[in-house]
Amino acid sequence: MDQFDKKILDVIQSGFPLASRPYAAVGEMVGMTEAEVLARVRALKQKGVIRRIGANFQSRKIGWKSTLCAAMAPEDRLDAFVAEINRRPGVTHNYLREHRYNIWFTFIGPDRETIQKELDAITQATGIPILNLPATRMFKIKVDFAMGGDG
Amino acid sequence: MKHAQSRPAPLSPADREILRMAQTDLPDGPAPFAEMAAKAGVSEEHVLDLLRRMKDSGEIRRFGATLRHQKAGYSANAMVAWRVPADNVDEIGEKMAARPEISHCYIRVTTPEWTYNLYTMVHAKSPEDCRRVINDLAAYSGLDDYDVLLSRKELKKTSMQYF
Repeated sequence: MDQFDKKILDVIQSGFPLASRPYAAVGEMVGMTEAEVLARVRALKQKGVIRRIGANFQSRKIGWKSTLCAAMAPEDRLDAFVAEINRRPGVTHNYLREHRYNIWFTFIGPDRETIQKELDAITQATGIPILNLPATRMFKIKVDFAMGGDG
Repeated sequence: MKHAQSRPAPLSPADREILRMAQTDLPDGPAPFAEMAAKAGVSEEHVLDLLRRMKDSGEIRRFGATLRHQKAGYSANAMVAWRVPADNVDEIGEKMAARPEISHCYIRVTTPEWTYNLYTMVHAKSPEDCRRVINDLAAYSGLDDYDVLLSRKELKKTSMQYF
């Protein structure tokens, strides 16, 4: 990744132009042609730096609910537990963490009751209790990373 | 009285089709919105209007590239759970959220087993950097009752398919 890649990423993480020719608009901002920007974006996707380009929805505002869940999974039952969690489409993030509560995942669903039912089903299938920790106040969600491509 | 957060108007089938495309990955070409428009049978302006409107209303929180942190150089993350007295958790949460090293900051419900109420997510280039940032945050907030949950492995990461 060079300075130009970083400049492009600094622009397109939050400010991907909603315009007919978005790569031309990015090119104007960073001093490159449309073809150059598009080629670099393609290469960054190929390398796996960019996972996707698209819309990230605020689940609450489009009528969905989300929560954070935690569990203590014994080492010998970890794989089965993780498989039972991950096969559900409402689970978007799941991390193994260094803690006695070693499994932390997010769950998005149409309403709180549906989410709790799904969690109960996971517990029923695996015997592992799950803490359901919905947010009561959100101060910040920021998911772009400064690449330092300014200048 | 009108609800502060009124439900969005129902979407047309064409709009759902557009949002189904927008929640995955844009078509690969110089005019991605025109390609989406052609697939949904609407004009390019219609696609751009819908996306702009939903971005302005906050229904689309962010429109753009989602990176793989590891490959972007941010390989470590830690969730920090803080136990903050209820009467100043709002103030502390706002202070924490103002820090650039913090990507997420929430108050969450507590349970008898888990009594932490404030959560912050820290992303950094190494576990050592994470710990340094967390020490700074503790000093900055004056909080000493917290638990650090360093990531050991990403087990799943995808985008929700809402439409």
